[in-house]
Amino acid sequence: MGNSIATAGYTFVVEESKEVSGEDLGLLQEKLLQLNWGVQHPASGPMRLKVWVDGDEVVKVDPDIGYVLRLLEKLVEYRTWINAIVNVERACFIDNFGTMTGYSIAAEKIAGVKVPKKADYIRTILCEGGRIVSHLIGLGSFVGVLGVHTPMQWALIAREKFLDAFEVYSGQRIATASIVPGGVRYEPTGKFIEKMVTAVDFLENEFIPRYGEVFIDNPTLKVRSVGVGKVSKERAIELGLAGPALRASGVSSDIRKDYPYAAYGELDFKVITKEEGDAYARYLVIWEELIESAKIIRQAIEGLPEGDYRTKFPVKVPAGEAYVNVEWARGCFGFHLISNGGTGPYRLKMRAPSFANLWAIPEMMKNVKLADVPVIFASLYMCHGDIDR
Amino acid sequence: MEAWLKALFFPGFVFLLIVFLMIFYFERKVLADAHLRTGPFYVGKWGLLQTTADIFKLFQKEFIIQRRANKLLYSLIPFVAFIMVVMLIAFIPFSEGSWVVSTSFDLLIILALVTGMPPVFFYAGWVSRSKYSFIGGLRVVNQMISGEIPLWLSALAAAVFFGTLNFMEIVKESSILSFLILLPAFLIFITATLIVTDRPPFDIPEAEQEIVYGFLTEFGGFNYAILALSKLVELFALYSVAVILFLGGFKGPVLPGILWFFIKLSFLYIFTFVVRASTPRIRMDQLLRFCWKVLTPLALLNLAFVILVKMFIS
Repeated sequence: MGNSIATAGYTFVVEESKEVSGEDLGLLQEKLLQLNWGVQHPASGPMRLKVWVDGDEVVKVDPDIGYVLRLLEKLVEYRTWINAIVNVERACFIDNFGTMTGYSIAAEKIAGVKVPKKADYIRTILCEGGRIVSHLIGLGSFVGVLGVHTPMQWALIAREKFLDAFEVYSGQRIATASIVPGGVRYEPTGKFIEKMVTAVDFLENEFIPRYGEVFIDNPTLKVRSVGVGKVSKERAIELGLAGPALRASGVSSDIRKDYPYAAYGELDFKVITKEEGDAYARYLVIWEELIESAKIIRQAIEGLPEGDYRTKFPVKVPAGEAYVNVEWARGCFGFHLISNGGTGPYRLKMRAPSFANLWAIPEMMKNVKLADVPVIFASLYMCHGDIDR
Repeated sequence: MEAWLKALFFPGFVFLLIVFLMIFYFERKVLADAHLRTGPFYVGKWGLLQTTADIFKLFQKEFIIQRRANKLLYSLIPFVAFIMVVMLIAFIPFSEGSWVVSTSFDLLIILALVTGMPPVFFYAGWVSRSKYSFIGGLRVVNQMISGEIPLWLSALAAAVFFGTLNFMEIVKESSILSFLILLPAFLIFITATLIVTDRPPFDIPEAEQEIVYGFLTEFGGFNYAILALSKLVELFALYSVAVILFLGGFKGPVLPGILWFFIKLSFLYIFTFVVRASTPRIRMDQLLRFCWKVLTPLALLNLAFVILVKMFIS
């Protein structure tokens, strides 16, 4: 990647290596200033955006990634079929259930294993729990880049209840490693269900009214985000946007509805779409999906069948390959898994939604103000672990 | 009391230091309450000494000067800023007898000193020779100049109404009637104060997510503490002016004057903190539009209104 400004057809010349010194500052009006928005920056996370600004206007943005590359796809090749999930779930620690589910379904497809119905339901409950946890942080960090830290604090309180439920279920709060090929790892006890219901109750009765009153339809928030980073429906498809960012542009794409997996086919929920395609629409999509996910969890808990929660998964899986998409919190997550008949995966390719969203940034951040950079960045709802893998 | 004792202890330096530590503590507690957290808790009773501990931590930090920075100016600017804002406090009467200096031009001097702040903060950004600091410095100048005109106009409205610039006389003449007539001027003054002192939602020069910490980015330790404190003092001084001009200063029944002064002041502060906890930051171009197309015309209209009222009253 590097500095692609020379190859991108721009006519101006940027002296990247030149430092700003006091003598030059008087001439800055005629010059472009390169800001390193990232790596060591309060809002960027472990990645860098090279931002060229002309005064307050952003001229060009170039993302520079790779600071949290962990070679997860390669590490999977050294694992067995079951314990590869600990690498898969680390694609992004915020919602790890979606990735584990996708990998497990792909492995089951190759091995020809049929998962018990109860496992499907538990997977659905966990996936939606992970989605809620992720969306809560997404909401908090979107308003957080505008200098208000209240939503994040409120979201973290609601998130704690869900983490409590995960802890009861698997013993871990974040990296649970609880969904494996062949089902789920642990028996869903009554206490887990009880904790999950408590968490959903808290979300629906306390968090959603409190948050909705202050930070949805907030006039200042609208002033900042309506019309910012607009993407049309056609352009969103061309750019390959994923998840809430795609649905906010009016594309009704949701793997849970289009190609149902786990227990989603038997549950009643709707796909949230918005027509505007701007930062505020993306924020509202996350908000409404949060409400929808709580309903899915309630339905899945009501319809939880009796029976086994796990079947035997073979140590050696016959040669073959499978491609599985799951609707992860941040969008459509694809797993291309290949087996050569060994005790572990031969090759795993993860198609990450955040990586797809990242490449919309240079186009969306053209001719915006410097203050819009963090807003657009947060509204695309990316996870850095997922970008680098 | 001797004037120099006043300047040193009450209502001077020591008193103000304690007041600022308490305001800082108060801000953290109110914000924590809005966040549904506890806030400072362990250091001292109810965490009262937490802010003191924080300040001492800053004092013992290493004194770092950037290699590229202009060493003399870089070390000097925080003190210049601090001295400029501390001078503001000398003119504020906290109660009947507690003021350091009283002249016939109190209001004028305070506004003039506040107007002198943007160059200081711009230099703070400029001498750091860092991109973020420089942009922060430019933003400070941009924002303060657009905020100061409504500030001046609304303060002038009060001065026209009372017919004097001396704070003691203004407090003596204030009444419920003056509060009602000057209510629009009060609202404009508070908004302009938030703009001039970079408080949220107008904290554009320090927008953390855009330009790290604006002109404060390269300052650390003692220098940072002094600069940050001078911004707090500026806000305190302008709020005190608001209390004196529009809310009747230290006047009030039963309780002593100084308590009334701080009760009125704390209401303004709670307003600031609640705004900080709930209002996202706005953009520079939006702020400029707001200042020049809404706030300044309103302040002018308000001035005309007050002059009209004054004509009929006198």
